[in-house]
Amino acid sequence: MAAQEFYTRMGDGKRVTMTKEKIMADLQAGTADAADMGTIPALTADDLERLLDIICDRNRVVAVEPGNEVVLTYDIGQLDFTGDNGNSGNGVDMGRLEAALIHERALGADTFELAHSDYSIKPVKPVISMEMQTMEEIQQEIIAPFFYGAMPNMGLYYAPDGPYGNPADLMREFKIDESMQQSELAAEHLARDIEYVGNKIMAAGADGFDFDTMASAGDADFVGGLKGVEALRKANPLAYINTGMAGESVMGIHGGIEFHGKTVAGLFPHQQVKVCEEAGANVFGAVCNTNTSKSLAWNMARAVTFVKECVKQASIPVHCDLGMGVGGIPMFETPPIDAVTRASKAMVEIAKCDGV
Amino acid sequence: MAGFENEKKALQDAMVAYKVPGILDAVEKARAAKMPANDIINAMGDGMTEVGVLFERGRLFLPHVLSAAAGMTKAMEVLGEDLKAQGGAAAAKKASVVMGTVEGDVHDIGKSICSTMLQCAGFDVHDLGRDVPKQKFIDECNNGCSMCGMSALMTTTMTVQRDVIEMMKEAGIRDKIVVMVGGAPVTQSWCDKIGADVYGESASETVSKVKDL
Repeated sequence: MAAQEFYTRMGDGKRVTMTKEKIMADLQAGTADAADMGTIPALTADDLERLLDIICDRNRVVAVEPGNEVVLTYDIGQLDFTGDNGNSGNGVDMGRLEAALIHERALGADTFELAHSDYSIKPVKPVISMEMQTMEEIQQEIIAPFFYGAMPNMGLYYAPDGPYGNPADLMREFKIDESMQQSELAAEHLARDIEYVGNKIMAAGADGFDFDTMASAGDADFVGGLKGVEALRKANPLAYINTGMAGESVMGIHGGIEFHGKTVAGLFPHQQVKVCEEAGANVFGAVCNTNTSKSLAWNMARAVTFVKECVKQASIPVHCDLGMGVGGIPMFETPPIDAVTRASKAMVEIAKCDGV
Repeated sequence: MAGFENEKKALQDAMVAYKVPGILDAVEKARAAKMPANDIINAMGDGMTEVGVLFERGRLFLPHVLSAAAGMTKAMEVLGEDLKAQGGAAAAKKASVVMGTVEGDVHDIGKSICSTMLQCAGFDVHDLGRDVPKQKFIDECNNGCSMCGMSALMTTTMTVQRDVIEMMKEAGIRDKIVVMVGGAPVTQSWCDKIGADVYGESASETVSKVKDL
C-alpha cells in the first residue's frame, strides 16, 4: 500500500485501498446522488471533510467522542444469537430470557425486544397467548425498556401464503386494477392484525412495539402498518412505538395508495418520518440502502445525506438502522467492524441521529 | 427516422405517461403519418428505457412500468402485422431467458421487474415465478433458453444460485448458457465466486448488460 493510500471497503465488504482524493471524490458523488434522488440538500464542505477524517482514520475501530453517545437498540430479539450465520445470528442456542439479559447486561443495549422466530405479525397471531406469557416473565427480570418486535411483512397476506391475490402475479398478467384492489384489502387485514397482536402484547406488560422493516412489500404494506400504528397508539397513549423502515424509498407496488390523503409511494426518509409521526410513532428508524458496487465513502456520504435531512425535518427522535447493507454499511453477512463503527460515528456526529 | 420527429416524441411521451389508451393513440397517429413500423417500435423502446430510468429514480412505480409495458404489448399486436405487410418479418426475439426466484425464497418483486424490462427489450422471457426448484431452471435451459436469470433475496437462499450453476456443469450445458444473478445480498464478488456471467445491481443495469452481450 502506498503511503498516501488508506484501507477502506467496497459496498460488498471487499478490502480496497484508496487515496484521499479518490475518497473525497466518492464522498462528493455519494452526497450528490442522495441530493438528486431525494431532492434534498447535499452535505456541506465541512460535513464532507469530517466524513473524510472518519474514513481515513488509521484505527481499525473508531468511536464517537465522549458526550456524543446515543441510545443503542437491538432488534430481532434472541435471533441474533440463536439464528445461524446466514440469518443474522451466531448459532448460539439459548432461551429468550437469557438473550434478553445478555443484551441488557453484557452488550449494553438500552432497549431490547421479544420476537417470534418468524419475526412477522401474521404468524404471531395464533401463538399470541404464549408470547404474552413470555413477555410477562421477562418483564419480571429485565430493567431496560423491553418491547415486542415484528415486521408487518404484508407479503405473507398474498398468495400462496395468504388470502389475497399476489400483485406480482396479477401485474405480470397486466391485471393492474385488480392488483391494486388486492393490495388495499391486504393492507386493511394487516392493520387489523397489528391492532390485535399489539394490544394483546401491550396488555402483557410490553413497554412498546418495534415495527421492523415497514413497507417491505411496498406502499400498501406501509399504509397497513401506519393504520396499525394509529390503532395501537389510540389504545395505548403512553406506548413507545418505533417505526423502522425497510428501505430509503417506499416502493410503489400499488402506486397510488394514500395515508391521510398523502400518496406514500416514493417517499424518502425525511418524508417517511412525517407520516409515521402522524400515525402516532414516537421514534423513527431511518434506512438507506447500500450499493454493493460503490465504495464505503460513496455509500456513507449518501446515507448520511438522507439521514441528516430526516433528522432536520423530524419532530420525533430518529434512530438510524445500521447493519448489513444499510446505513452505508457493506452488504456482508458479518459486516466489517471498521465500516460499522465509521458509519455509526458519522450518523451520530454528522447526521445527528438520536439513536442507533 | 428523419421526418418523424414529432411522432417519435409523441410515442416516447406516451410511454412515459404509461396510459395504455394514450400509447395506442400515439401509435395510431404514427401509423397514419406512415411512420415505418420498425421505427415506431424503436421509439416505444426508447420511451420504455426512459420509463425504466424514472422507475429507478423513484419517480414512476411498478404499476406504471407495467402499464407502459401493457401498452407496448398491445401495440405490438398491430405493429407485428404492419411489419409483415411492410416486407419484414415480425421483430425477432433477442434470446430466450428463463427467470425465477430460487427455491426456498418467495421474494419476487425485483425479479418480476427485471423480467418485464427484459421482455420490453425484446427478449423471450419464461418467468417461472418464485420458489423455483433447481431442476426447473435446467429443464428450461434444455428446452431452448440460452439465458438463465436467478434471483435470491436472502443469504440463506443465494447459495442455490451456485447449486444451479453446478447442475448446469454436470448436465454439460454450462458453456451454452448465460447465467445472470441478482437480489439484495448478491454482489459482483458473489457472481464472480460462483462463476455466473452477469450481476445486475438493478433491473435496468441487468437489461443494459445483457443487451450488450
